[in-house]
Amino acid sequence: MPHRNDIKTLLIVDDSRVSRMLIRNFVLAKCPQWIITDATNGDEALKIIDHGTPNFCTMDINMPGIIGTDAAEQILSKYPGISIAIFSANIQESHRTRAAALGAKFIAKPVTEKTVAQALDFFEGKP
Amino acid sequence: MTFMTELQLDALTEIFNIGAGRAASSLSEIVGEEVKLSVPHVKLYQSSKINAEVLSLNSARLGAVKQSFIGPFNADAMLLFTEERAMEIVHDMMGSQVSIEDVAEFEQEAMCELGNIILNACLSSMADILNISLESTLPVYSVGETNATLQQIISEANQPMMLVLHIDLAIEKRLSQGYLVFLLSSSSLKELLIHIDRFISAI
Repeated sequence: MPHRNDIKTLLIVDDSRVSRMLIRNFVLAKCPQWIITDATNGDEALKIIDHGTPNFCTMDINMPGIIGTDAAEQILSKYPGISIAIFSANIQESHRTRAAALGAKFIAKPVTEKTVAQALDFFEGKP
Repeated sequence: MTFMTELQLDALTEIFNIGAGRAASSLSEIVGEEVKLSVPHVKLYQSSKINAEVLSLNSARLGAVKQSFIGPFNADAMLLFTEERAMEIVHDMMGSQVSIEDVAEFEQEAMCELGNIILNACLSSMADILNISLESTLPVYSVGETNATLQQIISEANQPMMLVLHIDLAIEKRLSQGYLVFLLSSSSLKELLIHIDRFISAI
């Protein structure tokens, strides 16, 4: 299980600059050593991951282009070792079920210290 | 009200109320204060009669986040705040990460994300209760004169009659008022009622 002082890499995927900023700041407050990159849509995320796989990823669903659950599915089929937390405003059961089927953690937005802590717990708990 | 039975109206109002409850809970998480809900209003209007007064929107200018939901029926959803309160909410949302002077820079994006969270919270709960799936467009934020904002949406829908679902969200300690308004075109109403009937028959 990683410690929060370890250097880990996280990719934040969200079309909202505000959400990216909030996730980044809440994560860095708890894990100041982590290296964080971000992407504004699923296609950009796929390209970034092909150039260097992060340990963890947070993924929005409703974004321009490919939706987040599709992006997560593609990422996990190529790189099953990445832990993905899906942060979504769309909290419909269908999206929760799909996230669970992918092995991703579904977290209902808003992005708060509490919801980011849920993602960090998930990241730490996954071997 | 002959367009739907009393039982259908009751079921729809209750489902909307549950959705609004989820929306209020999300807003409360963002602003860190209790959010109170008014009684929900569900009513069919002639499109030409829908205006700020009819909807009790007590502000000449509003910040509006608009998003469309598409599925078995389509709905245009709006989250409305008075302009100056919108900025306060943005500040709450960003917390200490942004100084009050810089809040304006984030208004557009923060309000889009806020609307996205709150409108989706409401519609997602409603979709789950009705056992359907709804997709949403990306949110759009604009600040403008209240009636002009309403008229733009109504003219885009281009329908003679519209079902209006409307509830007020009050952040009491700040005297802030927000409005959650959904407009359903009459062509979507039939589909909505089919799903309401399914919901009722399963009770």
